[in-house]
Amino acid sequence: MEEAVLVAGKAIGAGLAMIGALGGGIGIGLSVGGAVQGMARNPDHTGTIQTNMILGVAFAEAVAIYALVVSLIILFVLS
Amino acid sequence: MTLNWSGKRRWIALVLVLASFVVMFNWPPVVPVIQLPGEIYPAGEVFGLPITNTFVGSIVVWIVILLLIRVVSGRRPRDGGEVPRGGFYNFFEMAFEGLYGFIGSIAPERYLGPIFKMFMTIFILVLLSNWLHLIPGIDSIGFLHPHVHKVEGHYELLDGFDLATLGGVHYLNGQCAWVSPEAAATMSDEALQARADAGCLSGIPAADAADAADEAAGDDHGEEIDYHHVEPGDPAVPWVILPYVRVPSTDLNMTLAFALIAVVMIQVMGFRALGIGYLTKFFNFSTLFKSPLGGIDVAVGLLELIGEMAKILSFAFRLLGSMFAGSILLFVISFLLPVIAPWPVFLLEFFVGLIQAIVFGLLTAIFMSLATVSHHHDEEHHEEAAAGAH
Repeated sequence: MEEAVLVAGKAIGAGLAMIGALGGGIGIGLSVGGAVQGMARNPDHTGTIQTNMILGVAFAEAVAIYALVVSLIILFVLS
Repeated sequence: MTLNWSGKRRWIALVLVLASFVVMFNWPPVVPVIQLPGEIYPAGEVFGLPITNTFVGSIVVWIVILLLIRVVSGRRPRDGGEVPRGGFYNFFEMAFEGLYGFIGSIAPERYLGPIFKMFMTIFILVLLSNWLHLIPGIDSIGFLHPHVHKVEGHYELLDGFDLATLGGVHYLNGQCAWVSPEAAATMSDEALQARADAGCLSGIPAADAADAADEAAGDDHGEEIDYHHVEPGDPAVPWVILPYVRVPSTDLNMTLAFALIAVVMIQVMGFRALGIGYLTKFFNFSTLFKSPLGGIDVAVGLLELIGEMAKILSFAFRLLGSMFAGSILLFVISFLLPVIAPWPVFLLEFFVGLIQAIVFGLLTAIFMSLATVSHHHDEEHHEEAAAGAH
């Protein structure tokens, strides 16, 4: 019984930690959307826009990955 | 190298797919044991340090890089000619030139050489580390290991599987999760008989278990079992696989090492470009008593210092998080449906590995370029340019 509660708590905690991925998703969507608009209006600058877009996506994604790391640690490292 | 088998290829592919379905139904896949730190080799220690399978993975990456150096530099034209030297060399030349142009658009021209070298070193190492888990079987071939956990001097048995043998090779029997004798005592006779019929070694009717123990060992194990020297196939312990090689980027030691190297090299680049004046980025007291808002500059400098520490964490955890999650995704999808479902996931992991390698190298290159620029000089130039325009 105690063990079951422990497992349930871990699963709930890991799921709650992944809410942080929401922000990363929104951020990536916004930045890629903006970059695509920029590229459509200004195809000559595709290279520069793409570089900066990948950078911004990497930063936004990093936050979601921190949430992922937290939830992985809850699942596999905590005992 | 030609791969045109005149239509035979599709039949070979189809036969392989059907064969993997047969394998999947007869030898069901095993739930993997997932562990964040690298698994320690049972063989022992070198210079007092335990060997982990992620470390062995990084040795594999070094060997692959040395082979690449040998192959690519062996084909380099010595006479400066521009004759194509075959697809592999040309591919490298194309990738190299493309990336050189890419970094050239970011880095200041004066420091393009060192920045590009740092970028390319990190890129190739991280890329090959990330792509290691695309090799099928890298996570499923390894030592068979009793799954025990040492707590305060005594061993605690964890979840595992029974072993089976095929042609002299031991493997985990996916149909038979390990059952401890205490748990077996509470199971119904039908359930125990069903397990025995399926070929399990643990959790079977007591009479069969006694026979099996007599055949296997001959003598009584007694209370204490030496869990580091158990015969393979012993039904008294749960078995798991300890892979020989694991992707090095799923180990925090490796990613943190790369992050420390990258951040230290960023500072080195800053000192090289600006001399001791680079420190004014962090400790800026020049305006403290001159202007009423001088305190802000001091605070900004301290924030920059914290930002450098945050860079280490963000580099390390970004790579670790995405690659460890990718590894788990590959484990789990291969366990759920081993035949068709993993193919798109392997393709996804191919791109994730590439993008993470590019991002790691690109961020290092960008931070290095930023470190070579002095803020004060920039503002002065802008003011001069503005004054000239008016």
